[in-house]
Amino acid sequence: MDKVKYSLKDYKSELKPIWCPGCGDYGVLNALMQALVKLQIPPHQMAIVSGIGCSSRLPGYINTYGFNGIHGRAIPLATGVKLSNPDIKVIAVGGDGDGFSIGAGHIPHAARKNIDMTYIVMNNNIYGLTKGQASPTTPIGEQTKTTFYGNMDEPINPVRMMIAYKASFVARVFSGDPKNAIEVIAQAIQQRGFSFVEVLSPCPTFRGVEQFKLIREKVRYLPEDYQPTDEVRAFDIANDNDFIRLGVIYRQDRPIYTDIMRKMQQVSEKMGKPEILDLLKQFEP
Amino acid sequence: MASNNIVIGIAGSGGDGVISAGEILVNAASSDGLFVFMLKSFGAQIRGGESSVRVRMSSEPVATQGDKLDILVVLSWKDYLKFQSEMLLEDHVVILSDLEDSFPEENIPISADKLKNWYKIPFNQLATNSAGTSLAKNIAMLGVISELFNLPKTALKESIKKKFSGKREDVIEKNLSALKAGQDYVKKEIKKKDSILFEYTPGEPRIVMEGNEATAFGALYAGVEFYAGYPITPSTEIMHWLSVYLPRYNGVVIQMEDELASINAVVGASFAGRKAMTATSGPGMSLMAEGIGLAGMAELPIVVINVQRGGPSTGIPTKTEQADLMQAIWGSHGDAPRVVIAPSDVEDCFDCTVLAFYIAEKYQLPVIVLSDAFIGHRKESINPNRFRDLKYGFKKINRRITPTENELEDYHRFKITKNGISPVTWPGMEKGMYQAAGIEHNEKGFPSSDVSVHARMTQKRWDKFREIKREFSFERFYGPDDAELGVIAWGSTKGAVKEAVARANANGIKVQAIIPQILYPFLIQPFHDFLRHKKRVIFVEMAYAGAFRRYLRGFVRFGDFDVETVSYRQTGGAPFTVRQIYDKIVEEYEKKDA
Repeated sequence: MDKVKYSLKDYKSELKPIWCPGCGDYGVLNALMQALVKLQIPPHQMAIVSGIGCSSRLPGYINTYGFNGIHGRAIPLATGVKLSNPDIKVIAVGGDGDGFSIGAGHIPHAARKNIDMTYIVMNNNIYGLTKGQASPTTPIGEQTKTTFYGNMDEPINPVRMMIAYKASFVARVFSGDPKNAIEVIAQAIQQRGFSFVEVLSPCPTFRGVEQFKLIREKVRYLPEDYQPTDEVRAFDIANDNDFIRLGVIYRQDRPIYTDIMRKMQQVSEKMGKPEILDLLKQFEP
Repeated sequence: MASNNIVIGIAGSGGDGVISAGEILVNAASSDGLFVFMLKSFGAQIRGGESSVRVRMSSEPVATQGDKLDILVVLSWKDYLKFQSEMLLEDHVVILSDLEDSFPEENIPISADKLKNWYKIPFNQLATNSAGTSLAKNIAMLGVISELFNLPKTALKESIKKKFSGKREDVIEKNLSALKAGQDYVKKEIKKKDSILFEYTPGEPRIVMEGNEATAFGALYAGVEFYAGYPITPSTEIMHWLSVYLPRYNGVVIQMEDELASINAVVGASFAGRKAMTATSGPGMSLMAEGIGLAGMAELPIVVINVQRGGPSTGIPTKTEQADLMQAIWGSHGDAPRVVIAPSDVEDCFDCTVLAFYIAEKYQLPVIVLSDAFIGHRKESINPNRFRDLKYGFKKINRRITPTENELEDYHRFKITKNGISPVTWPGMEKGMYQAAGIEHNEKGFPSSDVSVHARMTQKRWDKFREIKREFSFERFYGPDDAELGVIAWGSTKGAVKEAVARANANGIKVQAIIPQILYPFLIQPFHDFLRHKKRVIFVEMAYAGAFRRYLRGFVRFGDFDVETVSYRQTGGAPFTVRQIYDKIVEEYEKKDA
């Protein structure tokens, strides 16, 4: 009965990635496809949408319905797809610039509405596609092409931000740890509601191999007894400066938008669903 | 003076019930089969402040609000002052004001000759004595004017009953007694010194719609399934209406966090196979420009309604203007194809929205409907039967074409075809997976920066225009073909132009007007037909920089027709009057012999 219908090759598109050698995004693409194999989601029953950036090229590399939209708008694009067809699995992907800079205004609203989608952000702390400018997650003091004298801005802490927005599911993984990444991404896709996965995805081209090493030194799994439903504890983990914790950091089940929407539609239908032309009655004087 | 065409203006403060009095009057007139046109005007305050309403009723079709008032009702002189420039008075105007208004008479900005027919009526007292509350003074006022000018009385009673039908029974009783008190007062106390008497024969009831309601209704009629939007004056009524009705037909209405999100959600919904739309106004339109370009690039049908307001920037949100034409046509980076159509009155809001969905779905591109505050916020009475026989009927507005089994064997989403239209799939369809993209792509949908691919695909996206130009040839002409003087206008200026042209021809001044409905792509043939006999044409537009004239001159070689062109334009706010257009027609007509 446990026949595997879809294997890796079913999810692979004929397009070859053009990311730089050593880019963390290869690992993310692989982990996402492995998670899809694990969940056996039919390729035509999902949509992967993105904005603009190196990581936003990802939808084209998967054999499914993809949409490579415009910069910063992956989340509203995904919202439109999901509400139009609630049975479709919707995954939005992108980078730290696309998500936390130009597109940051959309995150709290998708989270509070609890739109049933998974949002995977490949965080490399830099703008790669435009060749090396500061991103909203670039550490203070770092020199980039637009911060010659050192970055002045406090970086965004994506996990802490998502917990504050009450996303249904908040997790962090590392592209250099595929086993954990596959497991967590699969859980995120299964979560009903707005689920968020930050993937630490180094950029060897603009941040050097040092970035990869530094992440590998600092990452730790969550403590054995960790319960992601404890919001206060989740903030502590997000605020940890000594280690970067990997795993499902926060989780809470809330009603999802499309379920509420369907109920509303049912309620509204009871108020009358006449032939369209009969609606003209309301305009009678 | 018996008249079958009368213009009434009412001004007062927010609490005076000016607007509801106007609505009751409009409904009464419409149920008696009259042609009605109603305009509201407000100050910037949300509550209180000044408000005014203008109602024109006639037993003949009317296309405008009427230039000047035959009757002015002032519930408060202080508030009337704010509308002086919008409420011009006929020489024979009859004025009614509240007896208790303490506003100093010497400060009333109306010349003595227009104050000949001035009645001071105790509106407040009539209401308090009959209904027990001064809140009914607007109804007492309706009683007074209906008796004094012979307005539809039985219909007024019915209209009041309907207006307060949800309220306690005594509310209806009180208002009806206020109406009667007003009528009795005129019978007993007033010696009529003016000569205005409205005369008409009642006809079949007409329905009353606002432009924005007609737009929303048109969208539902065309089968809209998804609406994402963000509130903005003067477009929001479209979202209000759809949020009540669309969910009943399994549709989705979602209020997004901004216009950037709205347009992208609409594009996402269209990608998912739904008929999708949004409505906005100038500032929102600016924010949506990039998303509209995306829909053009990804060849996804969307409908965007722009209810134009005065600009630039925040401008005057509650007033009308026609200055977004170039933005609609060119307002995105790159060669971004879209169709632009412009409604010219309330009925046309319905027609254009239906047409927009038809074109969007058939040709898989964005369609922009350029309405404006003047149409969106006015009420007109309409023959209800006109909706039953439409060129683009409900059944005919098919969804975009999907690929055949055969085509799915080796599916090319953006396959180059003769007319630029390629079959489209959406998520959930078992075969036919593809990537939609804002990035240039080949026929399969894969990204490409090959210049020859870009050239081919750009051509493909614009090939649709050839077909659209073949499919549509309809334009509106008013006046005789062989007139040597012409007027070219678009959108909401149609009303004033139409009436001015009719008046001119009746006075022996031969003139013809053309009002296009599809503005882009440009359908050149009707203009060539129009210009055949013209020596001189006047461009009429409510936009300072004259974009319409410049736009047309890019397509039509007026010099080849030996036609002189004149631009007649004003900034937005108050719409053109018939008189203004008429005078311009006369001025230009007289030049022909000079």
